Amino acid sequence: MNDLEQSRQTLQETMNFMAALAAGIEPVIGRGACSMAYSAGRTLGAQFARHSQRTNDLETALAEVRNVLTENDCLWQFEAFHPSTRPSLITKGEDGSEEILLVFRDCMIRQSLFRYGHAQKGSLCYMMYGFFAGALEAIMGRRAELAIIHAGENACLKCLKVHA
Amino acid sequence: MLEIKIHDESCRGCELCVDVCPTDVLAFDKVAHKATIQNVGDCIACLSCAFICPSGAITHSNIHHVKNFYRDLDFCRRVERFL
Ligand code: SF4
Ligand code: SF4
Repeated sequence: MNDLEQSRQTLQETMNFMAALAAGIEPVIGRGACSMAYSAGRTLGAQFARHSQRTNDLETALAEVRNVLTENDCLWQFEAFHPSTRPSLITKGEDGSEEILLVFRDCMIRQSLFRYGHAQKGSLCYMMYGFFAGALEAIMGRRAELAIIHAGENACLKCLKVHA
Repeated sequence: MLEIKIHDESCRGCELCVDVCPTDVLAFDKVAHKATIQNVGDCIACLSCAFICPSGAITHSNIHHVKNFYRDLDFCRRVERFL
């Protein structure tokens, strides 16, 4: 087996293990598993983004998060989504918060879950959302939340809210 | 440009696709008792409607299909000969 095959197999086994572990602990710990995974992902995201350029502009911050993902070999592409029902891409709240919809396409977590028929929106999904929020918080210096609107077979829709 | 097609004759009017769509792309024609496309521009290509449809009546074209990270290594070796 060459190096590429070896790394590919290691990655696949790790992903399988993670998905099985997540599916196993969720019935035991309950919904708390998602909060724990979110929190762990958030810490990791903040660590990964600690040297990123700071900005208060949401679109620039999203570009920075994309850089963080690329630099750390995370294949987790996302794009901003502007539905016809919203007047603008970014919705500003009266309290100074900002909200944007994001579509996530290629996702290692989704593929790992599907491999053995595990459900989406579980702790592994929350770990990745935590990672994203943590990275964004480190870049913007503001609290961020990424909520799952829809977990689909070929893409997922999330709502990112950045507090004032 | 993304396109969606609903095969009229296959649609059995269960409305599952309308309910699953997160962006209200699909609607239900109560007279014809069939699903219709009302707002293709808001489709995010999640393919949930196509997966849930019991008749396989919905197809999408010009979309990004997610990469399958799982490959059987023997199969990979066989495929790589053709790359
Ligand atoms: S899910 Fe399929 S059969 Fe049901 S309404 Fe939609 S297109 Fe018709
Ligand atoms: S692919 Fe997703 S967004 Fe597009 S019509 Fe189907 S359910 Fe709606």
